[in-house]
Amino acid sequence: MFSKVSEKAHPFSSQALPTVIHIKATCILSYVVGMSNSRKWGNVSSKKPSKGKVVQIYESFFKGEDPSVGNEHFWHEFFLLKPSVSKLESELAKLNGEQLTQLKDNLNLICVQCIDILEDSSQIRIAVALQTLCTILKAITRKAASESNLDIVNILVGHDSSKKYIPLLFERCSSILSSNPNSEIKNLALRLILALATGSENLSQNTILEYSMNYTSQVLFEALVYILQDPDTRLALGQFVIQLLTLFVNFSKYEGTNPFVVQLSILDIELALIGYSQVITNHLADFCWQYTTQNADTHAGGWFSSLTNMVGSMFVSDEGSCRNQQLKNHNAILLALYEAVHLNRNFITNLVQTQADTSSPPSPTATLENIRASAESNQAPSQIHLMVNPASQPTSLLATFIEYCSIVTQDTKPDTLFNNGKLCLLILTCISEDQYANSLMHDPNLVYKVQLHRSPMRHRKIPSDPSLPAQPLACAMLDFVVEFITSHKMKRFPMELYLLSIGIAQRLVCYQKRCRVRLSYQWPELWKSLIALLRFLLSHEGTLAKKMNIFQLALQVVNIFNLFITYGDTFLPSPTSYDELYYEMIRMHQVFNNLHAMALRYSSIEGEFKEWAQKLANSLVNVRAITSHFVPKINTWLTDQGLSTPSEDQILEVVRCNYDSLMLKLQDNLDHYERYSESPQHESFFYTMVQTVISDINQNIDFTPEESVQKVFQDFASVS
Amino acid sequence: MTTSCWLMFQMSSEGNPPIVASCEQGPASDALPNVHGRTCPTRRGPNSHQRNLSLDFRPMKISLPPVAQVTAGTTVAALAATTQHHRHRSLDLDLHRIPEVDVTPSPEQQCSKAKLLPMAKSSKLKEDITSLGSDDSGICGSDSSAETRPKGSEETIATEEVKSEPEEEQPKEVVIKQTVETAAAEPAAKENCVPKKDNLLRFMESSMFQAPLAISYLFTTKEIGVQTYIANKLFTFPEQEVDFYLPQLISMYIHIPELATLIFPYLKQRCIKSAEFSLQVVWLLKSYSSDAHLTSKKKSDGTKLKTLILSDKLRPRSFHDREVVKHPLTAPSPNKKAHQRSQSDASALIVGQASAEAAENSSTCLGDLRSGRAFNTGCTCFNTHRGMVNNLKGRQTSCICSAPRLEGEVQFVDKLLAIGHLLPEVSGGKEAQAIRLRAEIDQINLNLPARVWLPIHSSSIPHHVLHISTAFSAVLNSKDKAPFILYVEVLEVDNIETSPVPQKMLNALRSTKSEENLLTNERPSPSNTSQNLATMLHSNSMGMLYPYDNDDCWTQEDDEISQQYVNKMKTDRDTISQISLESSDSRDMMVAAGDIRRRLSSAFSDPRTLARRRDPEDPSANVLSEPWMDKVQRIRDSSPYGRLANWRLLSVIIKCGDDLRQEMLAAQMLEMLQNTWKDEKLALRLRPYKIVCLSADSGFIEPVLNSVSLHQIKKQHQMSLLEYFHANFGPPNSEEFLEAQQNFVASCAAYCVVCYLLQVKDRHNGNILLDDKGHLIHIDFGFILSTSPRNLGFETSPFKLTQEFVDVMGGEESDMFRYFKLLILQGLLAARKHMDNLLILVEIMRSGSQLPCFKSGAATVQALKNRFHLTLTEEKLERLVDKMVCNSLDSLSTNLYDRYQYITNGIL
Repeated sequence: MFSKVSEKAHPFSSQALPTVIHIKATCILSYVVGMSNSRKWGNVSSKKPSKGKVVQIYESFFKGEDPSVGNEHFWHEFFLLKPSVSKLESELAKLNGEQLTQLKDNLNLICVQCIDILEDSSQIRIAVALQTLCTILKAITRKAASESNLDIVNILVGHDSSKKYIPLLFERCSSILSSNPNSEIKNLALRLILALATGSENLSQNTILEYSMNYTSQVLFEALVYILQDPDTRLALGQFVIQLLTLFVNFSKYEGTNPFVVQLSILDIELALIGYSQVITNHLADFCWQYTTQNADTHAGGWFSSLTNMVGSMFVSDEGSCRNQQLKNHNAILLALYEAVHLNRNFITNLVQTQADTSSPPSPTATLENIRASAESNQAPSQIHLMVNPASQPTSLLATFIEYCSIVTQDTKPDTLFNNGKLCLLILTCISEDQYANSLMHDPNLVYKVQLHRSPMRHRKIPSDPSLPAQPLACAMLDFVVEFITSHKMKRFPMELYLLSIGIAQRLVCYQKRCRVRLSYQWPELWKSLIALLRFLLSHEGTLAKKMNIFQLALQVVNIFNLFITYGDTFLPSPTSYDELYYEMIRMHQVFNNLHAMALRYSSIEGEFKEWAQKLANSLVNVRAITSHFVPKINTWLTDQGLSTPSEDQILEVVRCNYDSLMLKLQDNLDHYERYSESPQHESFFYTMVQTVISDINQNIDFTPEESVQKVFQDFASVS
Repeated sequence: MTTSCWLMFQMSSEGNPPIVASCEQGPASDALPNVHGRTCPTRRGPNSHQRNLSLDFRPMKISLPPVAQVTAGTTVAALAATTQHHRHRSLDLDLHRIPEVDVTPSPEQQCSKAKLLPMAKSSKLKEDITSLGSDDSGICGSDSSAETRPKGSEETIATEEVKSEPEEEQPKEVVIKQTVETAAAEPAAKENCVPKKDNLLRFMESSMFQAPLAISYLFTTKEIGVQTYIANKLFTFPEQEVDFYLPQLISMYIHIPELATLIFPYLKQRCIKSAEFSLQVVWLLKSYSSDAHLTSKKKSDGTKLKTLILSDKLRPRSFHDREVVKHPLTAPSPNKKAHQRSQSDASALIVGQASAEAAENSSTCLGDLRSGRAFNTGCTCFNTHRGMVNNLKGRQTSCICSAPRLEGEVQFVDKLLAIGHLLPEVSGGKEAQAIRLRAEIDQINLNLPARVWLPIHSSSIPHHVLHISTAFSAVLNSKDKAPFILYVEVLEVDNIETSPVPQKMLNALRSTKSEENLLTNERPSPSNTSQNLATMLHSNSMGMLYPYDNDDCWTQEDDEISQQYVNKMKTDRDTISQISLESSDSRDMMVAAGDIRRRLSSAFSDPRTLARRRDPEDPSANVLSEPWMDKVQRIRDSSPYGRLANWRLLSVIIKCGDDLRQEMLAAQMLEMLQNTWKDEKLALRLRPYKIVCLSADSGFIEPVLNSVSLHQIKKQHQMSLLEYFHANFGPPNSEEFLEAQQNFVASCAAYCVVCYLLQVKDRHNGNILLDDKGHLIHIDFGFILSTSPRNLGFETSPFKLTQEFVDVMGGEESDMFRYFKLLILQGLLAARKHMDNLLILVEIMRSGSQLPCFKSGAATVQALKNRFHLTLTEEKLERLVDKMVCNSLDSLSTNLYDRYQYITNGIL
């Protein structure tokens, strides 16, 4: 209404001329003449009078007055004044819930005007409106956090018009995201949407988001995706977009149909998907890089420092807590990765899509090359960005992610870290379950160098091997699982994580069996670590069996062995590897015997694990057949030969000679595993994860960055 | 102004059917470039119109006066109706010129063959009018004249084609014209030259005078008249034949300024016609003009032509015409006169807007690999209604918007070369390079499919690039450079420029279930926003609050199910594991551990299922060793584009940092020899492979498929060549072995001749391949004529012939070996017969070029000539062959060189 009237009065305002002249015209018309000329040139020193004016207006609003009455140009001028975020915030903070409700009409008026002006042609007005809205919104939501009965929507736009204005707000923001050329304004709009999405600590209670779950969802989704598509905005704003998408997707996703879930699941714009994965990759790679450089410092001390490291855990220190905070910040990114992997079928390709331009630190050679390239080709500046540093290793999302996992899962004691690690393992589970992802991970031509980080332990040295072999990603994933199994055999046993990590190995092996893929992997590494795990379970049976179901875990482990025993011919990489499998089992036959004994023990007495124990005892039939078949044979051979310490080759030879007299039982459903499903098992987990993401965003993001508005003012004041 | 107009008339004076067909699309696109080989060239000189006559004279023997008169009549009428047309003026001028020309030659014609003149004159006149008229009618754009146009031009073609057949009878008149011309050009030499040249020109008009001779004469003659004539004659040769000599033509263009102006019209016309040709010329200019830069500071002809082509001014004329037509239409403010415009005008307006938009888009994205449209020139012609209608009707759409024609391909090639330059700087060995290569290819793939092509294959298979196979790209073995091989999925198309580019497809491995059900089509593209959004919202708000249903979501199970199905289809062996999967009750099933172990071992005895071992030192061996057809099948199966009918897989080696110009010369020689032997029906067999030089130090190489180097055979199989033959083709007297042996001998003899004639050096086993039929193939012609590696002069023998080769042939006493020597002799004799063709290739390239193989200067060519042993009789030559074979076989230096290679480069 207002804007229409004033539009007629100012023919200029309908054109894209947010210039000095424009400001001048409106200033002359304004009823306050106290604005100096220098103000128009963006002179910092003369900011005071304008600030004063804005503050005056705020104050009169909060007194319950309406300064716009009788001045048809009021809003046009108001939106050309730079908002004073702090003043507005403090004014709002002064009020309690009741007072706010009383002032509802005035606040509604401002907000509706803000929403209306978002379609204005003047970039300055849009920026001001976005900033003002965001400030009010944040102030009210902060109030609402303490005063639970506060109705945010009512205070913002009023109950009656909320159906009209909130969707309109989403739409206008979306259209700014997809068509406004100014990246600062896009930035402001994104922050506003983020403020809307994080309005409530509890996502499902965020009534504002309800309004986005209807037809606006499509527009909004596309606008967000568009940001990811554009290579320039992707870098600057991609992280906000990813966070937003995660929040929208998680909004009441168990209660009803969420259009964002559907949209994300069918997203098939390659550029957008690449943008999505690139934002995640950059983020994770940055962290990995930081960690590597930090660790390089700590390890530089050599033997002594590694000794101190192993005595005192490195995560208890200050450094550790700082790292915790850092890892918490990753939750949004990890959740985004999870949602993409879990929902989108097209995203899988991007897991192994090699990304050349990750944000590795610039090196002199790279910059030199850039200069040379730009000098030679006279191409657009965006071109320069493409020139990559030949020294930096290109990487893929999955390779980076596995490296990241190896860092994060080193310590799982604090809850935040536990959750983080669990989310990582869940993502890996989803990936290892996916047919297509598996085919990519097992492709012998798609090799990567994945740097796995190992925590230092008493009984082993950290192999600091600079010349990593490039290998298929399935190998890296198995390496990671082996590393996890080996390094977490602790008193506070992370059972859930173990189940997940061994599940990952199981899924990979099942895929290989099903598709007859012969991955050239050092399988003995896996076998050894699994047997060591069984031994750990056995030795801590007393404490562990009281608290958790160790039989389930042991059964999972034995099943992996059974897969190798019965179907090894379909996927083992060489004939001798089958012999090596037998060798490992025979070598550690005592572990299997003890395990069997324990299983029998528990299955004979009544208890909650009776059934599991029985299953475990049954699953051991083949392993026991093998050990009982070969162990006597080897012993007799040893006595025949008069040897006490036989070499591995000699044992292998005996094994080879005695296969034929051994019969194995075929077991059912070895290659079946329980498919991962998010609901209902993990519902509460994801619920808490989303909570942490929201509180994290609220803590760490400045929703009203004054420098953005400042920049818009500068840009458009100088474009005369 | 007048000359240029007149020039345009000339160009379109001979229509050709496909073009006429495309003319029907709309009046405005009538004035397409003329794609006719026989179009008369024009030169920006005073005598250009005279040459026109020489061609126009030809029709006079065939008397089709009625037709000519009819067409002339109608078109003149059409002309009269549009007198305001500015082209009218040029017509007048032209008509004025004709008598001028006729006056000059008449005295001489009288003295030689006066009888034919009147007839010639009149029919020529008519012909001219016909062509001019028909062309103009097209430009006028009125419907009635548009109808006469195709008719007229078809008529001209008809007469033209009929006439070109009995060419033997034709030459005389043209000879006259030609003499006239030369006389006009060099009045001083007029009297003396005429009788002498008569013979020469008679010869030139004969059917014997084809591209090879033309190039040869163009180079050797110093007579400007003859040069001019041959330059014109180029238009009449089949394009392919001339294309073979393109390096020579360009070389002459660069280094012989007086020829440059003569060749220019031909190059210009071809460039206008084809973007692909334009780029070929650009790349050749780049490759060869680098030498010229050293001598002169001001821009050479070559550089000038290069900038001219790259500026994209040489493009189908329709574009310029359209601009003239289009502007008056778009200029008036749309809201006022909208109702007055007819429908066709309106559509033209749409195109205009679209192209403006396109230009905007392309300027920001071209070359930006992240944008996903780096090779998209922004041409929107295929998205317009016109393009769609054409597509449905199966007609071709020609680009009429102002989008750059060449820029997309230029960018594509640049990006590929950038990889080549980047790779050697990547530290961390071959594997790191391979990873980097994949990363770069992924980047490029983002921007495909696009209207880009691989220059190495585009002449044989016109295509658009769909996707570059990431997993199969490999860095090849090379000491310090990093050449790499790419396997490229392409779509074969009718015409690179006029066929639509296929849409992007994401990987089809995951079958889609939900997408069809969802409102994907209604989604607005992000670029057109607010209005669209409004309508969208309106339509959508009718629906329920949650328009989607989760049932449509894709689940993991979908994949799983389809995969199970696929697996079941593929199962070939009925193993226990399969049974266990299906049987519900296997409580009592037992299996022997020994069986499992045996199956595992047997899986490895079958080489097909063998897991390929990766060799970190040589990652490319893995990729290369797979048979081509297997690879094609594998890539096709996994590609979303695989089900397109015209899907093809092409491969290319990209090399940066190596001078490929010698390779290109060698490839030309090989092809020439191969053709010679084929014509002579000799059994000798070469495998020339294509080379495209992109600059003086980079280029594309066609990989030789299904072949392994002798080095690899020795390294991987640890057996002698004969043993390898037996292992691969069968026992000594089996049919396969004998055939392979025959192939081996034929190819070995052929390459012996080549190695001798060209003095090919650096013949270590890494440079000699063996294909799957037993053919021997030499690659790497980096050292030919007068250079050898580091000029050590190791390899002194005439060619490489080791005892191993002879063993495969069956020993020195065998019939096969005698046959081998006979083949060499035959090959030499045939080559000697066509020596001139070979020599001219080398000689032209030598002029002005500083290739290392010409380091001995003119002596190089002389030495080459000597090796043909013109003076020897057949018997003497036979003895020479015997001697050479003997020398080569016993050669110490061959062994020495092999050992040297083994020590320095590890090549067995």
